[in-house]
Amino acid sequence: PALPAGWSAEKDFKVLSSLSSAVQRNIEPVGPHFLAHARRQRHNRTFSEDERI
Amino acid sequence: MSEETGAGERFAIGISFGNSSSSIAFTGPDGKAEVIANEEGDRQIPTILSYVESEEFHGTQAKAQLIRNSKNTVAYFRDYLGKDFKSIDPTPAHQSAHPQQSDSTVAFTIQDTDAETPSTVTVSEITTRHLRRLKQSATDFLGKTVNAAVITVPTNFSDAQREALVAAAKNADIEVLQLIHEPVAALLAYDARPDAVVEDKLVVVADFGGIRSDVAVVASRGGMYSVLATVHDYELGGANLDQVVIDHFAKEFIKKHKVDPREDARGLAKLKLEGEATKKALSIGTNATLSIESLVNGIDYGSTINRTRYELLSGKIFSQFTGLIESAVKKADLDVLDIDEVILAGGTSHTPKIARLLESIFPEKTKVLAPSTTPSAINPSELSARGAAYQASLIQEFDTEDIEQSIHPMVTVTPHLSKTIGVQLVSADESGEFVPLVNAETALPARRVAQYTVPKEGGDVLIRITEGEREIKVTKPEPKPKAEKTEEDEEDSDFDSDEDEEEEIREVIWKSTKPIAEAAVKGVKAGGKVEVTININSDLGLQITAREVGGKGGVRLAVEAPAASANGSA
Repeated sequence: PALPAGWSAEKDFKVLSSLSSAVQRNIEPVGPHFLAHARRQRHNRTFSEDERI
Repeated sequence: MSEETGAGERFAIGISFGNSSSSIAFTGPDGKAEVIANEEGDRQIPTILSYVESEEFHGTQAKAQLIRNSKNTVAYFRDYLGKDFKSIDPTPAHQSAHPQQSDSTVAFTIQDTDAETPSTVTVSEITTRHLRRLKQSATDFLGKTVNAAVITVPTNFSDAQREALVAAAKNADIEVLQLIHEPVAALLAYDARPDAVVEDKLVVVADFGGIRSDVAVVASRGGMYSVLATVHDYELGGANLDQVVIDHFAKEFIKKHKVDPREDARGLAKLKLEGEATKKALSIGTNATLSIESLVNGIDYGSTINRTRYELLSGKIFSQFTGLIESAVKKADLDVLDIDEVILAGGTSHTPKIARLLESIFPEKTKVLAPSTTPSAINPSELSARGAAYQASLIQEFDTEDIEQSIHPMVTVTPHLSKTIGVQLVSADESGEFVPLVNAETALPARRVAQYTVPKEGGDVLIRITEGEREIKVTKPEPKPKAEKTEEDEEDSDFDSDEDEEEEIREVIWKSTKPIAEAAVKGVKAGGKVEVTININSDLGLQITAREVGGKGGVRLAVEAPAASANGSA
């Protein structure tokens, strides 16, 4: 895969569209990964903030 | 273990509470879940209570009482808990104490004290007594008073049933930390193993129990689980297979002695008990015996059955089990090709033939986790108890309030990606292959990183982030044998070639459906790799980073959340 000739964009990227809408589902509240997720949700933290703690 | 909180220390175990049998499990300090045997040495403890002259029997001992003392023996009561009498199916309890209406709940009339008149005991009270015995067995084994538990329940257990179970456990002095779903517990039991690798996969968990069967299709994404579809069958379970064995032996008995032992209540109870044991033996060996003293009319009976015969007789029932799995996959709008793992749980999953049939239904890459197909498989009977024990060890030190907040719908109802997001490495001449990076049904927020090899010569690379869909490509082999075939062909060969012909080749093809963003990474070294990181927020906004592995800088870009569903209304 090479860059096609004539492709150009500001700062080398361009946005074409956004994601399709999401589906609301229930996650099963079990396992260590869920508990980490719940902790982030409750304290409104992002992944990287969580890692720093 | 020690907590500074002044409140009494918690000591939690995992309990799987089934209609036919229950298990207790504990997670040791090494992080390994172990199923605890009760004082009789049973790890699968029959969910049965029996009373003989005011003495309480539990588990296997109570099960034996189904023959002599069926009226004072309570069995198969789990599904009656928290239910209205009109909505229950009393069939499973035919051979034991019958359920009856008592106010708004279900009760049993049993002689459980020395009093002259039998007492009416509600199903909650029976559950409490059962849990108390389980708790006692665990306490005796562990040498420390158990006062809390994580209990597994079916996915379609209603709120009333959950409340009734928590209340019954409370009466047995067990604090229910959390009720978790049986299939998810089974999945957790596998993922909690130290050598397990967290990966995105679609898993079918089939829980084949004694008197009911449940199948769930679960998306496992980054160690988090979302149930996509469930199916339940209340008339399918190990009891159907027991019946096959019972009928087989009963017919043999009739041939010899001209009486049907199934028509005698006690004869039937004996056949049931021994027939089940024979069926279990057939899951291990290829031959099993059955011998019953004084089956009916004082006649002793002994005979054998081999596995081939049993599998032949059970063919129809086996296909009901596999059919249930196929219907669950269909209900989730998936194809067997999408499934990465099939976890067989529940006692009936020991049957080798069921696992082998599943292997033939699913593609080769799908792992069928059962003792007969995967040597490292965990005992199917122990899965949910182990999962519960593991979960118990994770949360036992949390405050009750913490647990409640964490399992609140505010936390668990989460947007999931509806389409798979992947990367296309695009070159000038070809459109580029779509490689999935973040799978559909991934809970948000999520982050994934992957590396891609660039062409040998290196240079500038265009990366296109795009949504994709999987399609199933069906290739029909050329119908050449048709022409050659003559009418004189023998029936056998005709049949065979027909089979071959219809064998289509089905494969998964990924198609890019909606390009999201493009980025150029320039001047990649020959033989280098490009690393792409995607961060997706709950509002569907995303950040993408693309850089050469070992290189500096790279390209960063952000895609804004779609305006229409910014609040996650979809």
